Amino acid sequence: MTTLTDTRRTLRPRDGALIWLRQNLFRSRLDALLTLVLGAIGLYLMFRFVQFVFVNARWEIIQVNLKLLLVGRWPVVHLLRIAVSVIALAFWGGVFVGLIRARQVRRGTADLDLVGWRRIGDLGRRFGLLIATVLLLLAPTTTAGPRMVAIGLFAAVLLGRVAGSRLGSVPLPTALVRLSTLGLVITPFVVFLYLVDAVPFAKWEGFLFNLTAAGAGIILCFPLGVLLALGRRSKLPLLRSLSVAYIELVRGAPLYVLLLMANVSLEFFVPPWIAPSKPLRAVVTFTLFTAAYVAEIVRGGLQSVPYGQEEAAKALGLSPYRQMTRIVLPQALRNVIPAQIGQFISLFKDTTLAGLALGILDLLAAGQAITQQEAYRGQGLIIESLLFVAFLFWVGSFTMSRESQRLERKLGVGVR
Amino acid sequence: MRASKSLVTVAALMLMLGACTQDADTTTTTAGLEEPSGATTSTSAGTGSTATTAPSEEPAAGGLLAEVIARDELNCGTRDELPGFAVLTAEGDHVGFDADFCRVIAAAVLGDASKVNFVDLATEDRFTALQSGQIDVLVRNTTWTAVRDGSEGATFLQPTFYDGQGMMVASDSGFANVSEMDGVIVCVATGTTTEGNAATEATRLGVEWEVRPFDSPDLIQEAFLAGTCDGWSSDVSQLTALRSVYPDGPETLTILPQVFSKEPLAPAVRDGDSEWAQAVSWAILATIQAEEFGITSESVDDTLASTEDIGILRFLGAEFETAEGTTVLDPDLGLPVDFAYQVVSQVGNYGEIFEAHLAPLGLERGVNALWTDGGLLYAPPYR
Amino acid sequence: MTTRQAGARPPAWRDVRVLRWVFQLVVFAAVAAVVYWLIDNYRNNTASSGIPTNFEFLTGPSSFDIPGSDFDQNQPVHSAIVVGVLNTIRISVVGVILATALGTLIGIGRLSTNWVVNKLSAVYVEVIRNLPLLVIVVFTFLGVVFQVLPRIENAWKPLDLVVVSNRGIGVPWYHGNSGGLLLLLAIFGAFGWWLIARWRRIVSERTGEPPRSGFIGAMFLVLTFIIGWVILGFGVTLPEVDGRQIVGGIRIDPSYFAVLIALVIYTASHIAEIVRGSIQAVPKGQGEAASALALSPFQRMWNVVLPQAMRIAIPPLGNQYLNLIKNSSLGAGFAYIELTSVTQITVGNGSPAVPAFALALAFYVVLSLVTSALVNVVNRRFALVER
Repeated sequence: MTTLTDTRRTLRPRDGALIWLRQNLFRSRLDALLTLVLGAIGLYLMFRFVQFVFVNARWEIIQVNLKLLLVGRWPVVHLLRIAVSVIALAFWGGVFVGLIRARQVRRGTADLDLVGWRRIGDLGRRFGLLIATVLLLLAPTTTAGPRMVAIGLFAAVLLGRVAGSRLGSVPLPTALVRLSTLGLVITPFVVFLYLVDAVPFAKWEGFLFNLTAAGAGIILCFPLGVLLALGRRSKLPLLRSLSVAYIELVRGAPLYVLLLMANVSLEFFVPPWIAPSKPLRAVVTFTLFTAAYVAEIVRGGLQSVPYGQEEAAKALGLSPYRQMTRIVLPQALRNVIPAQIGQFISLFKDTTLAGLALGILDLLAAGQAITQQEAYRGQGLIIESLLFVAFLFWVGSFTMSRESQRLERKLGVGVR
Repeated sequence: MRASKSLVTVAALMLMLGACTQDADTTTTTAGLEEPSGATTSTSAGTGSTATTAPSEEPAAGGLLAEVIARDELNCGTRDELPGFAVLTAEGDHVGFDADFCRVIAAAVLGDASKVNFVDLATEDRFTALQSGQIDVLVRNTTWTAVRDGSEGATFLQPTFYDGQGMMVASDSGFANVSEMDGVIVCVATGTTTEGNAATEATRLGVEWEVRPFDSPDLIQEAFLAGTCDGWSSDVSQLTALRSVYPDGPETLTILPQVFSKEPLAPAVRDGDSEWAQAVSWAILATIQAEEFGITSESVDDTLASTEDIGILRFLGAEFETAEGTTVLDPDLGLPVDFAYQVVSQVGNYGEIFEAHLAPLGLERGVNALWTDGGLLYAPPYR
Repeated sequence: MTTRQAGARPPAWRDVRVLRWVFQLVVFAAVAAVVYWLIDNYRNNTASSGIPTNFEFLTGPSSFDIPGSDFDQNQPVHSAIVVGVLNTIRISVVGVILATALGTLIGIGRLSTNWVVNKLSAVYVEVIRNLPLLVIVVFTFLGVVFQVLPRIENAWKPLDLVVVSNRGIGVPWYHGNSGGLLLLLAIFGAFGWWLIARWRRIVSERTGEPPRSGFIGAMFLVLTFIIGWVILGFGVTLPEVDGRQIVGGIRIDPSYFAVLIALVIYTASHIAEIVRGSIQAVPKGQGEAASALALSPFQRMWNVVLPQAMRIAIPPLGNQYLNLIKNSSLGAGFAYIELTSVTQITVGNGSPAVPAFALALAFYVVLSLVTSALVNVVNRRFALVER
């Protein structure tokens, strides 16, 4: 553990400006050169970037097309459903976090030294970017609706968080615990059905498609991934070779080519009444593709569970099925959460490939389509459009990857 | 306990809100529903609930026409980023020449031009979409060629636009003729006939062209601005459109006079359903015939009220006098008798569609004028 | 068969060994049934719509050109696919080398005590790693190729050796005999280097003088090359601007350049994180011991810490290399004609989609398997050095 901490203490600016400069910028001649050259390049790039974003860029194209970018051609009459879903999911997320927190408090693993302003500061560092993005997206709107949604969103998170930690800290009858667990698990599905009821999944577009396709892919691939991982570790030769063949074949193939295949050749392999819509095809491809990667992640998790655990379970006389589901898998899966988030992030970014390969109007495709509109074509607005697209993906991935790193530290994965 | 109560409350709230939006949904749907004139029955099952309907299992019985009428929506294959032909507006509508012809077909078949489900297709998968029944008709700026007619399982119909491939160069490049261009880089869009045509043309002229395919028009424009390409080859209609909004000004670009291919852009349907093919064909021919009669979307009602011309009355599906008494002409195309009226009143005649979408790009009628004006547009007699 | 104890064998329906096989066979049969069903559908559907299922399309004319190669439209499809595979390999190999170099530098940079270097590396990694690659490719086109590189009229010509413009980058190249001979020379030189290294190590162990195998070996390689070059009658051609073209030398296509840069900066951001983690995983004492021996910071990093870190980094690096190879398929939309692109164009020209894509997938799987085999070999060699 100690080997991981960096003993070369980085001095902070308040330690005395001169000493700090000396230590951190001009330690040696080479250091000074690097500082000056890279500093100049860095400042120049930053200047160009800031100048473009705040001075030269014409963001009107984004303002006008915001709805198209975010939810595609989702009917205006059903926008309320999206608002309700987002708020419901925010509440759900709040409850989830609250429950985890309550559990940590109960077990004494929570870091309780973060209180008051420091806690708010910590939350700000973690989620400030996300909150700022939500506010930024709402800034150009003039109607009251989106602002209400934003207020509802933040209120729902807070409410959920409080409700969750209350729920988790009072002893409840088992039946109620089971019920709320069930509620937690099915909420996303209920929300999904609520949305599909208004607009079929075949017509989900824009950023909504990117988010839901990635989410659906990572959830659906999980059972298959676990089965493949177990298959690969199994002592049964036929099962093992089937799993290995699947995993290696899929991992050897580029997702883009698989999506192209799903686009043009699926019709030949399944009867016409099955051939699903393009977004569904994308999700199926994501699921089958990601399962191979998840299998490898889970396999790593399984390997990280000490063999003694299995032996102890055997000694207790548990059946092989129970050994796996009660003892080994729970520990293994806990260890792979950060890697899973990593896989989710990469799938989230890869959903842009579906736009290119299948012609779905996802965020990136919409960003490229709007530059051809009557009022904007031929003006090189592709840069503004792409920057906006890149920004949304970046905020999502960045926040998730930081949270996953935090979780990794908390779980102490890789540290024994 | 309190916490769980709040959970329940929120759940109830959600359900209520859901119910509200549900209501709103139903009302708008009913309000938007118009009985398609002449159509058999309109199943009011939520419009748009089946985006990609599987092809019917027995195409012989019923056929695509009946299927479209039963579905009460036309799945029309288009694209979303081709200025003048089909672009996506901020509200999510498709606007353009091709998009209007989708509406023409919907107006003819369903009596309502708004009942179109636009399916955006990439260049590579447009024929697959047609074969698999994902779309009913392809109106996507597609060139009618023998190979496509023969081996892609598609049947091409009445062309909506006669185009040709040309070359655009910078005005100061000094090229006045395609054959002068030797050892140059020519940029084109991916996966189109343009790529092959350019290569063939270079071989024919005995010059060396490096043909570079790009995926997005944005990239080609930037490449051209940066001087990475010498020539920009595409359909002349496209070149005109791109030139009109070129950032350095249209005069800095020149479209060379040579047109080195014939590009009749035509709608396509799946092979083997002649009833549907005829319906689509006649929907498009109606726009041409309407222009020939001089009927526009604005004048159609007046014309109908005042005209004595039997030809026009027949065409619009109105009653006219014959020796045997009052009658209407039903050519038994499977379309409502007043389909031409619906087409013209809801969308317009060919000239109107052209003026609305292609003229602003700077395109002339040229060969796309009526045969009476020396063009190629000629509708068979409606009788 | 294991020895049986008398009467211990349970009836077949409760015998674990039998049950295991039954279970496996059931699963296998289910998978086989699904696969059979799919193939059967495929056969019926293609037969009913008259679409060929064989690979005859490979011998037909390709009817498209590939920029940056001698390939023209009259050559058959299979040659186009070969050019596509070679282009995929070309961008992958160069990409892997550059991404490793850049990634390692930035990974070290993230641990630097220099505040500027440290922060810049961190920003680089956090920005690039969290963007979709597709967005990065478009940006490299718009930003690097179309903005930074000069027009052909005012191309940069440093020392007249290289020509840099947005129509391509010309670099000096050999001319004369076939490239195969040059490859033979390189192999010969490398083999000589290896022999010399062995010889010097033995000498050094016996006499205690420094081995200097790297220096002597490199000298041998260079000498071999120079002598071979002159004897075999090779020459050098320099790139020049002729009108609006680059002639002579060899030209690096701008599409290749843009896609390569995108792949490199994207992959490097991932490699940087791997390198950083691996360096942190090297026991602290190693670096301290190196400092105590008065090694310079460079020596400490290059000779002591990095070799140990690389041993940890190899397996995850291998994964990144595989990703890079697969990601090169994105070249398809950006005028870089590699394997996917060739397949897409071929299918667009009317070749049957399923066999064409199956072929492409097979190539990718083979490339991936070969790469992971190579990574495994390297991994094993490094592991052998382990104490």
